[in-house]
Parts: sequence; C-alpha cells; structure tokens
Amino acid sequence: MIKHIARKEFTDVVRDGRFRWCAALVGALLLVSLGHGWAQARRSQAELAAAQAVARGHWESQGEKNPHSAAHYGIYAFKPRLALSFVDEGVDPYTGTSVWLEAHRQNDFFLRPAQDATAAQRIGALTAAQVLQHLVPLLIILLTFGALAGEREQGTLRQLLATGVGRRDLAVGKALGVAGALALLLVPAAVAGAAAVVVSSPGPAASALARGAVLTGIYLAYFAAFVGLSLAVSARARTARNALVVLLAAWVVNGLVAPRAAVDLSRWLHPTPSALEFARTLQDEMAAGVEGVERPDRAALTERLLAQHGVERVEDLPMNEVGVYLQESEEFGNRIFDRNYGALWDTFERQGLVHEALAAAAPLLAVRALSMGLAGTDVEQHRHFATAAETYRRDLMRRMNGDLAENSRTGELYTAGPELWAETPPLRYDAPTLGWVLNNRILSLLVLAAWLAGAVLAAAAGVRRAEVA
Amino acid sequence: MSEAAPIDDARSAPAAAASTPVLEARALFKRYGGVVAVDGLDLRVGPAEVYCLLGPNGAGKTTTIHLFLGFIEPTAGSVHVTGLDVAAEPLESKRRLAYVPEQVMLYRNLSGLENLEYFAALGGRGSLDPARLADVLVGAGLPPDAVHRRVSEYSKGMRQKVGIAVAMAKEADALLLDEPTSGLDPQASREFSELLGRLRDHGVAVLMATHDLFRAKETGTRVGIMRHGRLVTELSTDEIGHADLERIYLEHMHE
Repeated sequence: MIKHIARKEFTDVVRDGRFRWCAALVGALLLVSLGHGWAQARRSQAELAAAQAVARGHWESQGEKNPHSAAHYGIYAFKPRLALSFVDEGVDPYTGTSVWLEAHRQNDFFLRPAQDATAAQRIGALTAAQVLQHLVPLLIILLTFGALAGEREQGTLRQLLATGVGRRDLAVGKALGVAGALALLLVPAAVAGAAAVVVSSPGPAASALARGAVLTGIYLAYFAAFVGLSLAVSARARTARNALVVLLAAWVVNGLVAPRAAVDLSRWLHPTPSALEFARTLQDEMAAGVEGVERPDRAALTERLLAQHGVERVEDLPMNEVGVYLQESEEFGNRIFDRNYGALWDTFERQGLVHEALAAAAPLLAVRALSMGLAGTDVEQHRHFATAAETYRRDLMRRMNGDLAENSRTGELYTAGPELWAETPPLRYDAPTLGWVLNNRILSLLVLAAWLAGAVLAAAAGVRRAEVA
Repeated sequence: MSEAAPIDDARSAPAAAASTPVLEARALFKRYGGVVAVDGLDLRVGPAEVYCLLGPNGAGKTTTIHLFLGFIEPTAGSVHVTGLDVAAEPLESKRRLAYVPEQVMLYRNLSGLENLEYFAALGGRGSLDPARLADVLVGAGLPPDAVHRRVSEYSKGMRQKVGIAVAMAKEADALLLDEPTSGLDPQASREFSELLGRLRDHGVAVLMATHDLFRAKETGTRVGIMRHGRLVTELSTDEIGHADLERIYLEHMHE
C-alpha cells in the first residue's frame, strides 16, 4: 500500500513543471556551491601547505642570532582545513585561520576572508551548507504544503480515503514519495561530495567519509523533520494556501529570525568585550599585572638566584639570568592570556550553548552547529587549534629562553645557530576526532532528534485527525 | 458488464437473492451542534439493488453517504457494510465499497490508467494488471485513445467514467454515489445510468444520492425520499411512473 502511494506521489511530483524548475535551480546551486567550495578549499589547502613550508624555511634560515631575537622573529601557524570544510566554511571566514606566534604575545588570528570580502561577495557567497539548510527545506515546503490540504481542496482526499487506505500508510507513502523526488536532487550532490572528499582529503579518506556519513545523516534528519512538519501543517490547514502561508512563516522564523535572535540573545546573556576593549585590558594587565598575577620582579629574581647559587654577582651565576627572567616574563604573560582568552573562549562557548538551546525553537540552529562541527569549522574547533598553537608558542619560547639561560652567562653576547632552529619541531596538529565533535554537540543532536520525533508525531496526529472535506 | 471489462461472476445474480443487506443503517442519527443532519435513519440496500436517495439540499443524503464511508461518526446508531460495523472496522468496510462523488477528482499529472492503477492498488482488491485495467476503463465508456492521456485533458463525464471504472476494478460489493450525474449532459448521463445497470446486474448494491427524479426512476430499483434528515417514504420504482414520483416528492417537500 505504502509503495503504491509513494510511487504515485513521486510520479505526480516529478511530472509537475514547478518541481522540475525549482529542483533544477536548487540542484544547480547545490552543485555549484559544492564545486566552488571544493575548488576554494583545494586552493586554500595548497596555499596553506606552501605558506607553512615558507614559514618553516624562514625559521630555519635565520642564521646566527640570539634565541630571544628568534623568539621575537616568531613563526606562523596555519589551521589545517578538514576535508568537509568545503561543505560548510563555518566561522573560519570570521575567525581567521592563521596566527603569528611570537614572544610575549598571544596574537589574534588573521587571514579572515570575511574581512577582505567585498559587499557583493558577502551577499552573493552561497555555501553548500546554506543551500542545504535554507533552500532544500523551502523546496520541501513547496513539495508538501498541498499533500493533504491540496487533496482535500481538490476532492481527491475523500476518494483516497474511501478506498480503505489507512491514514498512517497515506502519510508514510506521501513522505516517501517526496523523499524519492528529493533524492533525485540530493543523491547526485552526495555522490559528488563523497568523490570530492576522496579526491582531496588531506587526511585519511575513511575518517573524512565517516564524518561525511554522519553529516549526511544529520541533514537527512533535518529534511525528514521538515517533511513531517509540512505534512502535519498540510493535514490540519483548512486550505493549501493556509498551509503554505504557515509553512513559509515557519521557514522565515527558522532560517532568518531565529539565527538573528540567537545572536542577539546570546550576546545579551553573555556579553563579550569589543576587540578594542579586549586589547586594552590585555595591555593594562600586561603592564601592571592583576591581583594574584603579579609582574615578575627582576631585582627579587636576581637576589633569589644569587642566594640559591651562593654567589654575589650575576656574572658568576651558572646560567644567563636574562634568559630566566625572560621565561618568567613569558609565564606571567601566559597567565594573563589564560585569564583573558580563557574567559573570552568560555563566553563564546556559553553563547554557543544559547544557540544550541534555541534550536528547540528552530532546528536550523542545531543543524548549523552540527554541520560546522563535522566540517571542523566551528568555534570549538577554532579554539582547539588556537590552544594547540598557543601551547606550541609557549614551548617554543621555553626552548629559546632555556637555550639562552643554559648556554650563556649574564652579560655575555650570545648567539645560537641554525641547529637550534632546526631541532625545534614544527607544529603538529591533530584535529579533534569524530567522537569528540559529537560529544561536544550532544545538545544539538538531542534537539534535532527531538525535532524529528516531534515532527513524525505531529504528522501522524495531523493525518489521523485530518478532515476529509 | 461488457466483455472488455469482466467482473467476477461469482458475485452476480445469485448474490442478489441473498437476504443480508450489503448496506445497512440502523437508527442512524447525526447531529452537528444544534443541527440534526440525519434523524433516526433505518435503511437497507441489498445486492443487485439500486437505491436512490432523493431530497432537497440539506436533507441528509450526503451525510448518510459520508457515514457509510466512515468520514464522519454517527451521533447514535450504526452503519454496516456487508455486515461489518463501519465504526469498528473502518478500513475493511471501506475495502468493500466504491465511492463516486459529484465530481470525481483525479490526479491531473497522471493518465486515466495511472489514476485507476493507483486507486485500484489502494483498494486492495481485484487485479492490478495494466492491460486488464485499461479494458475496465474502456468498458466504463472511456475512449481507448484517452486511457493513456493525462486526466487534465478529461471532461467531467470522462472523469466520472474513471470513477465508475475504479468501482468496477475494485470489484466492490457496494457503490456509493453522491450526485454523480450532476452537470453531465444527457448523453453522458444516460451512459452513466447504463453503467450502473451493468454493475447492478453483477450483484453490486448501489446507494445513490441524487436530485434527478428522472434518473432515479430510470436507474433505481427503490427510491427513498429524505427531508430534514428523516426518511419520509420509500417507493419501489416498478410500481410508480415518472409523474407519480414527481408528485409524491413534491407533496413531501411541501408538508
């Protein structure tokens, strides 16, 4: 029974010229955005690899110099792109993907495409994720708003129900018919996406494909929720037009109002300082310290070292006192950075939680969080890389200051050679695993599952109680 | 039944003699708020019988048909199809029925045959062989060249014939018709009556709500006149002429 209903719905939909036009448009946009994202990701990956090699080359070819000068010379770190980042570029255009690691500073990331984008680019840029999150649900609405309301208006519903078909079978069959029509659009896109992942995955393709499979499941759940909601509304609306109006209103709330409201509400609940305020606070605290994090006292350090080693002059110490002081200064700075950046990141995460919680009102927010997470482009994974880069910076500074302290004496003009730069290992970054991402996004997963279950129940209840005429 | 569209002979003439009614309403009562739509209706339609419900708009004819179809629930009383209580076994009882509304509405993007295949498949009875279903359509009077055309090109008469074809293909025990000839031209209306006659000859019980006194006399075996939800009289069409039926009908309308 269900098979017959699904087949008829599928045939009816694909023969409808309006569907063909809409599907062709959405399909073309999806394929173009996938292709564009993929090409951009490959270009960016190649540039990143080249930039990394150049940065490393510059580091190793510094020649003879004081290690602390080398620490100031610094090195760039580049966040690697994960295979699925071409589907959803997430917050990367806004947070940046590269950071300069140098002494005394935890710098902000740069290379932010959004900063350099022209107004036209900002408006016109359409990612595959945006097509999947916004346009496919719109297409689902256009396919399903008349599923029951339209049949009721046309009079076919009573003929249909007079055949003895069960209402649950009718709802399932209609949903499957719509799913079949959508598959014409989505399967080629999924195949193209999988091929792109296999061809260009920077890491193991299996891992990227596993993420892709989960991402596909997430979007299917999102689409299924929309099909269920559309059927529920269509079953209960008096006319197809009413159903369309209600569903379009829901689409606007889900895609336009809720994301904006989530941004404003999360900022209101968990305000973040402006970039200028943040920089000024850092500057002030670095200059004067704060309670519990005092600036290192050079004279006290000297006295302590002299007493510890039983000598009276710094020149007689078995290490370079400057190197020890520079490292103490680094560690003071690190505590200030941890304090300020830690609070900032925590605020971002609390804002993220507000977004995820608001997904209870708009499933897009849950899907967006999961999509960015699986693409490796969300705030949490930006923080993950930023933390790894900062850990590397601190280790680098410790090596440079340690070399200065251990291999020279106070007052001596000391320089290190290329062997020190070469033995400093490059940054090796392991992106979070799929399990880490899913665990991090458990709230979004639960909310999306609740939406799906709610939509199925609403559709079942709506179809069960739908009036025949 | 035409040779092109045979119906199972097992349900033909001998079945007509069976005493169990195919359609039965027992003390049926339906109220919408303060309005009584059906008021204590007792009705029995046997095999090979065409029962025409006459009455003005609002008399309760369509409500009665919707009660048999289970679209609405009775306020009191019960309806039965081949002995099955519609309220207790809604799907099984509907599988034994076919329904042709005033305007048979079909799926515009599908052909007549595809529409028939769909409704026949959902009906869950009878053959789904496309060649046989095409024969049923032709047997119902649809021009052979229209069978594979999309129904968006069909006239109302052609759509009504598809509706009858659905009933024929389903091999239903009973056919419920709600003003089926309304808006049909005389020729199409006559063809429709002939189709009903053939179904009746094969033992199908027919309950038809209509305003058309002439068609009721020509097609029906019995006529029931409804007014304000009540069945005010029942007549055998063999025993009265056209003029008698019109007179009796008008008398009841002016009571």
